[in-house]
Amino acid sequence: MTTYAERPTLSQTRPTEPLSKGRLIVKWMTTTDHKVIGHLYLITSFIWFLIGGVMALFMRAELARPGLQFLSVEQYNQLFTMHGIIMLLMFATPLFVGFANEIMPLQIGAADVAFPRMNMLSYWLYLFGGLMAIAGFFTPGGAPSFGWTAYAPLSSAEYSPGIGSDLWIMGLAIGGLGTILGGVNFITTIFCMRAPGMTMFRMSIFTWNVLLTSILILLAFPPLAAALLGLEADRRFGALIFDPANGGAMLWQHLFWFFGHPEVYILALPFFGIVSEILPVFSRKPIFGYKGLVAATIAIAALSVAVWAHHLFTTGQVLLPFFSFMTFLIGVPTGVKFFNWIGTMWRGQVHMDTPMIWSLGFLITFLFGGLTGIILASPPLDFAVSASYFVVAHFHYVIFGTVVFAMFGGFYFWWPKFTGRMLNETLGKIHFWTVLVGFHLTFLIQHWLGIVGMPRRYADYLASDGFTGMNMISTVGAFLLAFSTIPFMLNIWITRNSPKVTTDDPWGYGGSLEWATSCPPPRHNFTSIPRIRSERPAFDLHHPEVGPH
Amino acid sequence: MAAGGEVRSIEGFGPARPERVSAKARGLFSMGALALILSGCSSEQLPALGFPRGVTDINDRSHFLWQWAWIAAFVVGAFTAVLILWAAFRYRAKRRVTTGGPEQLPEQVSYHMPLEIMYTVIPFIIVAVLFYFTARDQSAITKISPAGVAVHEIDVNAIQWAWQFTYPEAKEKTVTGTPEKLPTLYLPVGERVRINLTASDVVHSIWIPAFMMQMQALPYVKNQFEFTAQKEGTYPGFCNMHCGRNHSQMRFTVKVVSPTEYQSYVNALKGGVA
Repeated sequence: MTTYAERPTLSQTRPTEPLSKGRLIVKWMTTTDHKVIGHLYLITSFIWFLIGGVMALFMRAELARPGLQFLSVEQYNQLFTMHGIIMLLMFATPLFVGFANEIMPLQIGAADVAFPRMNMLSYWLYLFGGLMAIAGFFTPGGAPSFGWTAYAPLSSAEYSPGIGSDLWIMGLAIGGLGTILGGVNFITTIFCMRAPGMTMFRMSIFTWNVLLTSILILLAFPPLAAALLGLEADRRFGALIFDPANGGAMLWQHLFWFFGHPEVYILALPFFGIVSEILPVFSRKPIFGYKGLVAATIAIAALSVAVWAHHLFTTGQVLLPFFSFMTFLIGVPTGVKFFNWIGTMWRGQVHMDTPMIWSLGFLITFLFGGLTGIILASPPLDFAVSASYFVVAHFHYVIFGTVVFAMFGGFYFWWPKFTGRMLNETLGKIHFWTVLVGFHLTFLIQHWLGIVGMPRRYADYLASDGFTGMNMISTVGAFLLAFSTIPFMLNIWITRNSPKVTTDDPWGYGGSLEWATSCPPPRHNFTSIPRIRSERPAFDLHHPEVGPH
Repeated sequence: MAAGGEVRSIEGFGPARPERVSAKARGLFSMGALALILSGCSSEQLPALGFPRGVTDINDRSHFLWQWAWIAAFVVGAFTAVLILWAAFRYRAKRRVTTGGPEQLPEQVSYHMPLEIMYTVIPFIIVAVLFYFTARDQSAITKISPAGVAVHEIDVNAIQWAWQFTYPEAKEKTVTGTPEKLPTLYLPVGERVRINLTASDVVHSIWIPAFMMQMQALPYVKNQFEFTAQKEGTYPGFCNMHCGRNHSQMRFTVKVVSPTEYQSYVNALKGGVA
């Protein structure tokens, strides 16, 4: 029988006096601790979420009635360009990096990530890249207004002069480098730094998803960087890479969506992972079909690089059957995941704590987004509603349903791990219901709006179009959705001094390894590591009576 | 997965009720079957689900696909949503156990091979069927008539921020719109029309929602699509690819008229009247 050393008491003595504000700032700015870097990522990306959300409110307010209310067409175009890019590349993607930093090393029993300094470098690249990209608002020409997809040749120097566009392009390239480095870091960490006993098939689903997301980053972000740098070379040095005379219009669409579609899964997979962590804990059961779930995730990751041209169905320049079939096919592993999640709850003991209700909100919302995705995968139907509000509604169901619902689920779930304190459950439930109602009020109606013929990216419409009533409903929903942030902020504020969590696992039935160390964990995460005999080492530790399954 | 078989009683839940469960499940399935039988008629008898019927031949095909894709989505979606909510609420713990020792845990099931195979294979069959009809209809919709077949060709050129319609039948005369004065695209009812599509500057896209059709207008690329309009009327058309500042004003009107009216329009254009 193996024996283990007693937990040394020395490491328990930590400075009790709070740091002064100045020291805290210096500590955070010079840190290489993955948990603090995770805090930085989460806080920064949440601020971007609020900024992008305010932009959305401006747009919804403008669209509430026909006619231009208070924005010019040019301002509107700048807003939807920046809203899209902020939400995808400055909020959702770094939000993944934040969660991965906070949780993944804990789940594999590592002391830190493989390259802690590069980790911090990634953050600075992300922060300054993001600031650069948004700096266009402070230039004479304003921010870019060619849409977040930056289709050539609209994004060329000829059609979009203005230094704001150059700042945007280079800012994204710099931020993208940060993301690539983050991906390298996570892959190396997962392959090389797992604790003894933590085999690949004992890793938690979240860690698996971080691994596959990081691999997708390495596939998707370098082509984006190449496209962006090529575009900038066109603009500044007169290169002709995206000259339409040489087929540049199609080249951009291919390169962009070769990044853009895997990006959707870069956003989805980690948040699927979060939900896959929450459901077992609050159902008091292990995740159902663990290996099948991992296989489904691998299948999604593999298929996601073979479906990019479904964004190009209406170009008339792609092989429709191939990309249509691949896109349909991706519905199969996604369906498998749903049944894994349902199977986890089945015959369990379901506890409706806040992380759990957010996960259920995710399931219902993402289900509908997935089904409209299957509809759009059929080119004849895509011809009917592509680039309309139907598509706007579809991708908000998919991305908001996944990222935002799972993000809040993850916040409520891991808040004790991040801060050592619990969030308030009642406020959390108010928060959930306002988000759920606000979201569906905003976006469900947009499906019909698209079917009756409202194109996306239109600053204005006519009273005779018959879009007015539906737009008004959507705008009301958007304001309710914005309002929902207040209970969350209030929650953070009122629980800032609530009693510290004294146990390793305040939820009682956590499975993965982060629940086998203190809240928050010590500087190098573990003072001792339990025996890892299954994919639920913390559960095995706290509930030895159940035994390995 | 659920109903019928032995439902274990779990501590804190009270006895399970297998009879009621299976009755419910039977009701659900018979309702689903009924819906399928009712809908197993022609496309005409189904709700239109937002799109006007029979405006073009593209419309006829896509409408069938649209209805059946929604029926499939609705059945799958309702089934999955019911399973989610059923699992969450049927197996809900009565009360949060905060004190009084550990809970009696449910059986720690993590695998069920036959079930896992089933929920992988069935979705595959569903998407395979959808793909079959998709592939059939998309090749019909994107088909271009061979040379020699009589079609009315209309060249459509997109520029920032207006449409140009050129009628080869009217000695290549061009109608150019402006955001203030939207151009009108005249089409003859019941006759085959081919649109030759390109753009002069950036990428645009022509979209006529009522026709269930759109296609990108790319600079230096000639795109084509064909259709036969089947109902006279006036329909709105849009540019549906963001093309710069006044994208939202790049609209046009489609007028489907009788072949004689179309011919007189073409003649008037030829004579420089229109």
